[in-house]
Amino acid sequence: MRIRDSSSTNPHGDFGSVPRSTDPDRRFAAEKAFSSVLVSTVREAVGNALGHNVLEILTAKGLLDDASNSKEFDRKLQSIFGNGAAVLERIVVKDLNRKLGIPYNSEARLDYEKSLETAKEVCFVESKLK
Amino acid sequence: MSGSEVLSTLLGSEIRGDLLVLFHKNPGLIDTADGVARRIGRATVTVISDLRELLQLGILKQKRIGNSDVVFLDRAKDRDLLESVANHLKTVRISGEK
Repeated sequence: MRIRDSSSTNPHGDFGSVPRSTDPDRRFAAEKAFSSVLVSTVREAVGNALGHNVLEILTAKGLLDDASNSKEFDRKLQSIFGNGAAVLERIVVKDLNRKLGIPYNSEARLDYEKSLETAKEVCFVESKLK
Repeated sequence: MSGSEVLSTLLGSEIRGDLLVLFHKNPGLIDTADGVARRIGRATVTVISDLRELLQLGILKQKRIGNSDVVFLDRAKDRDLLESVANHLKTVRISGEK
């Protein structure tokens, strides 16, 4: 793994990026695995914060469709929760980082998209090590 | 208070989000402000105003045990408030929703 020295602004450990030109099948499998972890983390985060009725309503409205598309998910969250979206995104990133063993810094500004990219790369690196 | 206002109060800050998750994951939890702050990895002084907001909303209750003031989840109120949030969200349109 290539460790990058950076003053990242997102609240996670900086694991740097791994080259993308590796086995596409393995990459696809890792992305699928990541997507599954992410969707279950989002479900837990929303369920734990706002209860299962709210989760079911939001699921029926399509909140979790394509949840691994961070831009799309962020847009949907903003349209429902406004400023509260950032709170839910922090809960998601914190849980996701805990599951993947990525350090989380609650003091740093959250960059949701970048945080998910880092988590995805960690997932990919782990799949290569297995 | 409308479902929309309840939602804004519940998700009013990151700490409030952490407190909600803590009490929903541990609905029987009874602890002091110090203990609650420690459980979410914060200093007591940073959680006091958010605890106050949740106490004012009624989702948390406070009582005195011995020499300590403790807070705990009011499960019935929690259910009512989350139901009002759910009813509000039924009427909200997600952008791009068919």
